[in-house]
Amino acid sequence: MGKYGDKSVSMNIKGVRFRPWRKYAVIYRSVLMENLQYAANIAMGFFSYFVFIFIFIKLWGYMYRTPGELIAGYTKEQMIWYVMMTEMMFFGSNAASVAGEVARDIRSGNIAYLMNKPYHYTLYILSRYTGEWSIRLPMYALLAVVIGTVMVGPLPHFRLTAVPAMAVCVVLGLTIHAVFKLCISLFSFWIEDATPFQWLYDKLILVVGVMFPVEIFPKALQPLLKMTPIYTVCYGPAKLIVDFSPEKCLEILAAQILYLTVGCVLMSLIYRKGVRKLYVNGG
Amino acid sequence: MLTAAKNQLRVCLLSMKYNMMREMVNKVTFLTNVCFMVLNNASILVQWIILFRLREDVGGYTFREILFLWGLTAASFGLSHILFARAFSLSDLIIRGKLDSYLVQPKNVLVSVLTSSTDISAIGDFLYGVALVCACRPGVGGFFLFLLFTVTGTAIFTAFALLLGSLSFWFVRMDILQGQMVMGAVSFATYPDGIFEGISRFLLYFIVPVGMAVWYPVHVIVSFHAGMFFAVLGYACALSVTAVAVFYRGLKRYASGNLMEARM
Amino acid sequence: MQAITVENLSKTFRVKRKEKGMRGSIKAILHPQTEEIRAVNGVSFSVDEGEMLAFIGPNGAGKSTTIKMLTGILYPDGGRVEVLGIDPMKKRKQLAYRIGTVFGQKEQLWTHLTPYDNFRFFGAIYDLSERETEERIAELSERFELNAFIDTPVRNLSLGQRIRCEIVASLIHKPKVLFLDEPTIGLDPVVKENVRELIKQMNREEHTTIFLTSHDVGDIEKLCRRIIIVNDGQIVLDDSVERLKSHYQDKMAADVYARSQESGMAEKYEEAPNISLEEILVDIYRSEEDG
Repeated sequence: MGKYGDKSVSMNIKGVRFRPWRKYAVIYRSVLMENLQYAANIAMGFFSYFVFIFIFIKLWGYMYRTPGELIAGYTKEQMIWYVMMTEMMFFGSNAASVAGEVARDIRSGNIAYLMNKPYHYTLYILSRYTGEWSIRLPMYALLAVVIGTVMVGPLPHFRLTAVPAMAVCVVLGLTIHAVFKLCISLFSFWIEDATPFQWLYDKLILVVGVMFPVEIFPKALQPLLKMTPIYTVCYGPAKLIVDFSPEKCLEILAAQILYLTVGCVLMSLIYRKGVRKLYVNGG
Repeated sequence: MLTAAKNQLRVCLLSMKYNMMREMVNKVTFLTNVCFMVLNNASILVQWIILFRLREDVGGYTFREILFLWGLTAASFGLSHILFARAFSLSDLIIRGKLDSYLVQPKNVLVSVLTSSTDISAIGDFLYGVALVCACRPGVGGFFLFLLFTVTGTAIFTAFALLLGSLSFWFVRMDILQGQMVMGAVSFATYPDGIFEGISRFLLYFIVPVGMAVWYPVHVIVSFHAGMFFAVLGYACALSVTAVAVFYRGLKRYASGNLMEARM
Repeated sequence: MQAITVENLSKTFRVKRKEKGMRGSIKAILHPQTEEIRAVNGVSFSVDEGEMLAFIGPNGAGKSTTIKMLTGILYPDGGRVEVLGIDPMKKRKQLAYRIGTVFGQKEQLWTHLTPYDNFRFFGAIYDLSERETEERIAELSERFELNAFIDTPVRNLSLGQRIRCEIVASLIHKPKVLFLDEPTIGLDPVVKENVRELIKQMNREEHTTIFLTSHDVGDIEKLCRRIIIVNDGQIVLDDSVERLKSHYQDKMAADVYARSQESGMAEKYEEAPNISLEEILVDIYRSEEDG
């Protein structure tokens, strides 16, 4: 059953069990089935992932001069695993395709048909997104573990018991990332092409979150960086995997829930404003 | 022969002009696309500033050499996507059987196809590359070398994409792989060759054409080396000829209808 | 003089066969199985210069494959093709200068440009000088009444105006033969009529040979005197539309007569009902299916 199906909120209206989450579970499941057929295509994406990781293995191999050296508090293995984990999240979620879909729907006017269906459009998109990463993420996780153990070496002090907590943080991170990207896509109600803003957001995340852990930046910048979505979207979850501690986990979870709430409120606000504009001006 | 070439050129220029006009229908979108691409590229400098804080050289490159590397990659990648954007989505064209409309025109099929679209954000890449190199004050000679190597780099990137795309005449799944291989090559091209050694270094020089497109040229710009210089020119020509030959071999297969499975 | 000669033309496609599901995919990789499909199988016909021919048949009968071989997009496996005395396989480019193609479902115009700019582009493709192009555009836009919208970007034109521009664009270089693949698909009746008028006019004034495929009976009836019906890659009928009709009319009459004889009501012989071309085609396609 789908993710939402299990936890579906049940209400009793005149004796009929009314479950508003059910439809999203069905959407999720159909995308899941669809994507299962494309598993081979997804696997082709492994190539890009491998190239990226390969470059970083070589790069950090050059930067660390002596074995056991620490850079910004990370060993070489931790540093490479950090990149592998953040990249796994982005390759494994493909938020870009979902965001692109939203932008296209708005630009082509297709949204008028999707809007009039009895579901909330943004939740519909998020269900589809969840269906996509449910297939992709495990595939990339497996790939990362294989590359990591073969080419990098196992993580020091890795605790298998902490995996469920890490998984929760990763999933929350992916969802927050998608919510922010959707917000940017929703700008398409006002501007013709929102993709340049997506590039900037992506690059911000890439440069200051994916490639390096926050500790590598100048001390003065670090508190500032921890306030940005980067902390909840990639630094947090990846740091947790590389160097787990229960206190950090709670701290990250709290920040993620806060961010998710804010992001969702923002998303529905922008969406509502955009739709109103659509009604006024027509498609 | 000469008039045929002249006529072909006239069609190409018109085609490019019309492509540009299409992209510039909305001026605001056009400008934001170009400007944001520049910003987008510039943000990567953060990575290098961080890395150079840790060590004085990365893979034997100084910061200035990294800027050359980036400038050349961005300019070559940009120019190839401005002029020959279709080479990079050739697979799609072949698999969907969209070559038909080029085949009924009395013009060179490959040239018509390659120049049939453009990518405006690539203008941002190109401008960024040129600006970056100018900022390093390469001197007149260095700048001309940079321009020349932008041309060879453009030829190499385009030929590489054309070669991979042409494989779609035989293998259906190439559409995904084409994009990935090209982007993979570009990723390698933005890192110094000094960090790779052994087999990976060999592969990057001879199979994935990064060494000849970017690394050798950077070495030549920094300090001239005749052997490397001619190796780059030779490699660019050889790869282009190979790519064109493979495309035409594939086109014969297309005309014999053996791709019907994909087209039906 | 013959514009198109086709002798014993054949084309076979090899199609990979794949069973459903994951297992099928794996099997297809390990033991690829191919199946031969005879798309065109021994087709012969010829078209006179200035003739308007309807080349029709059910979906998948081999119409498009034939057109592709006539224009040099596909190479035949067997047989001989000559269009305007040129072998399309050997001299595709040379042939391209002398023929025009309109594919109803595929647009060849740049939608962000005006028809005028588009025509100039096609002028350049066919090596016309600036002056020749200008003159030809003036002539065509006058004759086909494009002047009202010649400076409006194509994307702002109605579907009917657009298809008229599509056709005019393919006429810039005065082709001797025009291949029209479903030119009226998706158009409203008035526009259809317009397009047909345009084609007829061109045939009359420039003596252009028209090779038309269409599912629209109106196109066939209003434009073509001759009709070739293909099915399963073979020609099942090559006759004038008129004779086809009268032949069917006779057949119907005979049927009615025979039936009335059987039922013993010979004296109550009725006139056979008028049969339309549409009904005739349905009958032919169906009987082919059964056979």
